[in-house]
Amino acid sequence: MKLNNQILLGNLVLSAVVFVVSGIGMYYLVFSTVYDELDNHLLQHKTDIMNQVQSDPASLNAIRELGGLGSYEWVEIERIDGQIDETENSYASIDTTRYEYQDTPEAYRRLSTQISVNDTTYSLKIYEEVAAWENISMTILLSVVAGLLIWILLLYLLNQVAFERILKPFYNTVDTLETISKPSDFDEKFPGSKTHEINVLNQALNIMMQQISSTFEEQKKFIQNASHELLTPLSIIRQKAEKILSNSDQLDEDTVKAASDIQHTAVRLSRLSNSLLLISRVENRQFNLDEDVRISSVMSEVLDEMKDFIDMKNIHVSTNETSDFVVRGNKELIQSAVYNIMQNAVKFTPENSGIKIEIGGESGQKELKIIDEGPGISAELRDSLFDRFKKSNGHSNKLGQNNGNGLGLSIVKSICKLHQFEYSVKNRKGSGTEVTIRF
Amino acid sequence: MRALIVEDEPLLNEELQEQLLDEQFNVDCTTTLREAKDMVAADEYDLVLLDLGLPDGNGLELLKMIKKLYDETAVVILTAHGEVDEKVEGLEMGSDDYLAKPFAMSELRARIHAVMRRRFKISDNEIYAGKLTLNLNHMEVTSGGKQLDLTETEYKILRYLALNKNKTITRIALAEHIWGSKIDDRFSFDFINSHMKNLRKKLSEAGISELISTIYGVGYKLTTNEA
Repeated sequence: MKLNNQILLGNLVLSAVVFVVSGIGMYYLVFSTVYDELDNHLLQHKTDIMNQVQSDPASLNAIRELGGLGSYEWVEIERIDGQIDETENSYASIDTTRYEYQDTPEAYRRLSTQISVNDTTYSLKIYEEVAAWENISMTILLSVVAGLLIWILLLYLLNQVAFERILKPFYNTVDTLETISKPSDFDEKFPGSKTHEINVLNQALNIMMQQISSTFEEQKKFIQNASHELLTPLSIIRQKAEKILSNSDQLDEDTVKAASDIQHTAVRLSRLSNSLLLISRVENRQFNLDEDVRISSVMSEVLDEMKDFIDMKNIHVSTNETSDFVVRGNKELIQSAVYNIMQNAVKFTPENSGIKIEIGGESGQKELKIIDEGPGISAELRDSLFDRFKKSNGHSNKLGQNNGNGLGLSIVKSICKLHQFEYSVKNRKGSGTEVTIRF
Repeated sequence: MRALIVEDEPLLNEELQEQLLDEQFNVDCTTTLREAKDMVAADEYDLVLLDLGLPDGNGLELLKMIKKLYDETAVVILTAHGEVDEKVEGLEMGSDDYLAKPFAMSELRARIHAVMRRRFKISDNEIYAGKLTLNLNHMEVTSGGKQLDLTETEYKILRYLALNKNKTITRIALAEHIWGSKIDDRFSFDFINSHMKNLRKKLSEAGISELISTIYGVGYKLTTNEA
């Protein structure tokens, strides 16, 4: 969730709680105020009646008749027999209908008490309608709710306008960070800002990115220089050896053999260093990964490159293409990975046998399978297969003895890792090896 | 023909010089970018062998300068960087070819031959090897007016040997020429042998035997009696 929306949500929850609590509080406050006021009113009424009756006992009947007429406020006076010890006031809220024709009962407040006039005791009941007061409290409640809604709307607008504006530099920074895929992409600096925290953040990021970028550049330069410094002398060794070999007629066999070994070793060393440099370049992410690569066309290019070897070993290559798909990455590297797998397949498959290539997969997965009919891979080697310098003879790299430099599959591994492809190898039942890349 | 060699490694520079002298070039050499710029500014060269990683700068600068001054000059980039980007950049900027170190001298010779042919539109697109005539435009090999039926790989082998005639070509150099340097040696040697067997058979069927001799444990040599 975006930061500003989180703040908004927090604000909303908090203000809803505050409004609900204060709304309920206000409701009860208003309610009790209203009833206090009513009760006071009733008590005042009673006092008025008592004063009147005290000064003129004869007016009791008139009060009873006149007081009985009001519709919002009326008086019931009845004579009761017997003595009462003391006069007491009791209040009650009642729902009743004042007249027969009323459909719904209304709320009234009633004061019941007793009065004595000329030693006769009367019960006095004074009624007053509550409805008007309830309307007021409902209005208050409604206005509280309305206030809450308006407040939420204001908060939302505040979030949209003010927060967006305040947080804009922050979001700019986040967006920029998101688009940087490699340090060399980073040429524009994060700008300064009026907001202290963002300023600090951007400055820290600038320093960090600069350091990463320069380390990256240094590393890249180092790799380039290392390859240059290694390969140029190797070039000389090779050419000197070849120069000796080009006049081989005049040389004895031992010298030719020695010169030939020197040449082989120089070539081997240069390939080894090229492979290591490729791996380290891949691992240091020095490649663009934004090409659209069609796997079927990569495969056919690789097959074309290997055509001579496939024909010579009389290998039957069958391609089963269930779906044609495009993946994002570096074409050169993907081709190199496919080439390495294919080269192994061709190398280990016996003559006159077949290699199966499956492009696609069940349920439209982006998958490439290369299945050979070679001897397969022994169990103890399978785990370390993609590690550097491991070979199926179980020994580490021996210069001059074995063909490959044992780096083929670790090149595949680093390329797959860079592209976040999955790769796996398993033995087929019977014979053969199945290599799968899942794009 | 005048050639300039720009390579900072003296031993390699020397070796290149020897090769180009062999090819009848008039050769100048330098090990620095600064000197190379002076030389290019002063003279027009037909061929420049250019190392990109020079101690005082990137060779691409010189390439830019050459292309600005003389469009006709053929430039072959020699580099150890193995940088695909740089290779593409170099070719886009107008270099004629690109050789990754370490390369075989026979490969350089073949490349120079191709580059010069392309640059200067040499109408004579045939090379001769004994009784054989190789037409480079049509990838045809004829012997006494009769065309030989060769596969593409066999043609490539024959062309490579013919371009380097009377010189021993190692199997590594031959394999690299045909399949590039990605291929495993031992793996490819078998293929070279069997291609060579087929090629020899076809040549002897056409009445040409002993044109290509095997130098045991080293490679092959196409020998002609011509100079």
